[in-house]
Amino acid sequence: MIEFRGVSKTYPGSERPVVNDLSFEVPDGEVCVLVGPSGCGKTTSMRMVNRLIEPSEGQILIDGEPNMSMSGTQLRRKIGYAIQQIGLFPHRTIAENIGTVPGLIGWERDRIRSRTEELLELVGLDPGAYRDRYPAELSGGQQQRVGVARAMAADPPIMLMDEPFGAVDPITRERLQDEFLRIQDNIKKTIVFVTHDIDEAIKMGDKIAILKEGGILAQYDTPENILSAPKSEFVSSFVGSDRVLKRLSLTRVGDVDLEPANGYGDNLPRLSNRMSLKDALSEMIGAGAERSVVVSDGNVLGSLTLDAIRQLSGRTTK
Amino acid sequence: MAVALATVALQSLEPEFFDWVWLRENFSEEVWPAVIGHLYLSLVSVGIALAISLPLGVLVARYRRLYAPVLFVTGFLFTIPSLALFAFLVAAGVGIGPRPVIIGLVSYSLLVLIRNVVTGIDSVAPETIDAARGMGLTNRQILFRVELPLALPVIVAGIRIATVTVIGIAVIGAFIAGGGLGQLIFDGIDRNFPTLVLTGAVMATLMAIFADVALLLVERYMRPWARRARGAN
Repeated sequence: MIEFRGVSKTYPGSERPVVNDLSFEVPDGEVCVLVGPSGCGKTTSMRMVNRLIEPSEGQILIDGEPNMSMSGTQLRRKIGYAIQQIGLFPHRTIAENIGTVPGLIGWERDRIRSRTEELLELVGLDPGAYRDRYPAELSGGQQQRVGVARAMAADPPIMLMDEPFGAVDPITRERLQDEFLRIQDNIKKTIVFVTHDIDEAIKMGDKIAILKEGGILAQYDTPENILSAPKSEFVSSFVGSDRVLKRLSLTRVGDVDLEPANGYGDNLPRLSNRMSLKDALSEMIGAGAERSVVVSDGNVLGSLTLDAIRQLSGRTTK
Repeated sequence: MAVALATVALQSLEPEFFDWVWLRENFSEEVWPAVIGHLYLSLVSVGIALAISLPLGVLVARYRRLYAPVLFVTGFLFTIPSLALFAFLVAAGVGIGPRPVIIGLVSYSLLVLIRNVVTGIDSVAPETIDAARGMGLTNRQILFRVELPLALPVIVAGIRIATVTVIGIAVIGAFIAGGGLGQLIFDGIDRNFPTLVLTGAVMATLMAIFADVALLLVERYMRPWARRARGAN
């Protein structure tokens, strides 16, 4: 667990803090997304966790211990670190890049090698083909995969990710996000994830911390609650006027209570149970249908109506 | 090829202008020691200059305020005419011989070497350093494992320029009895014997060209990552 306790950061020579009295907790195994406009101190807040930046006031506890209780380099070797610009070492091969932290903490060579292979497989790169290449020989998307693999190399319980999928095109980004969520489902790291993109925050976060200019925490809650009950004008304008649709995007068609499908004809639109309610709504409006049939691997699960979606989008329903 | 061209050019001259027989008979006694002496002057000078420039360059890259004064001093040294500098060193009590020549050659190399060390370190992308720090490398590890290896090609480029410059200027060192190929040239002028003058000049030129090409190859070899990336595209 990561706890921010009254953390502030003011740079010398500046009167206004960039992070102002930040207090929140990130429970074990959860992804906490720090999101906000530029200048809201989200990256600064993240970098104070591994002390790339030292707070001016307050403290950050990791599993109950202040993060000042060991040296900065010791601390950083225990915390995964991935950034938007990736920062792979251009003069080291992919395998050497991934093996950086394990090497620093003294793993055996064989152990590093097998871990590297395992991680390359995990992020979807064939070890045989990529292990001995240099970063410049990889595409942007492949480099970001390596960046994430490198951050996970020594299996740190905590990871810091600063727009880790920010340097690639939207289609690749979405694929990387999906892959990462699938990986996170298994590894259950405690993650502080920084982005300026509210859609990414909603997709990736178990909790979202919305920060506003001057490093003030505007709201800290689950994506659901932030979308359904924004605490302030700032939050509701930041999440956007389409927050109802965003909320629908959080729920999959297969997860809602469906009506029985008995007796409905083949002319209705057929939706996959994996589809989000937002996409389902779009399909149904596009097809001009009031009702659709939900299927999973060809089996009919039930039927979904526009009315049901309308009700699910209301504030009172969860 | 340069050797072939020079040979053809020399053979076409009047026989008394270039005495091949003399060269053949005296090569190992007069010419070869001068070549070795020249090599010694140049290598020792660049070596000492590098030993000064590397730590100083690293220091300047860390403490930017030092850069202007360091550039001023080394730039000033670089602008002094070589003959004047050698003469000054002799007058200042360093004496004659290889010592003042090496001091002079070192001071000429500092500017380009320090500048290339700093430029090389500067050329390392800030995100690479940030990632290194974020993963828990110490400052020393960042310097030796990330910054210097990545700066090495630029540093070698500096060594190349310094070496070629020094091989040229070392010729003048013979004026204060530093030895080397300049000695052949000065002797040749004294004895009115063009063969000596030409031999010294051609050997110095060949040495500079050879050093240039050799260090260029080293420079390329230092960047396997860039070479491979180009090959891949």
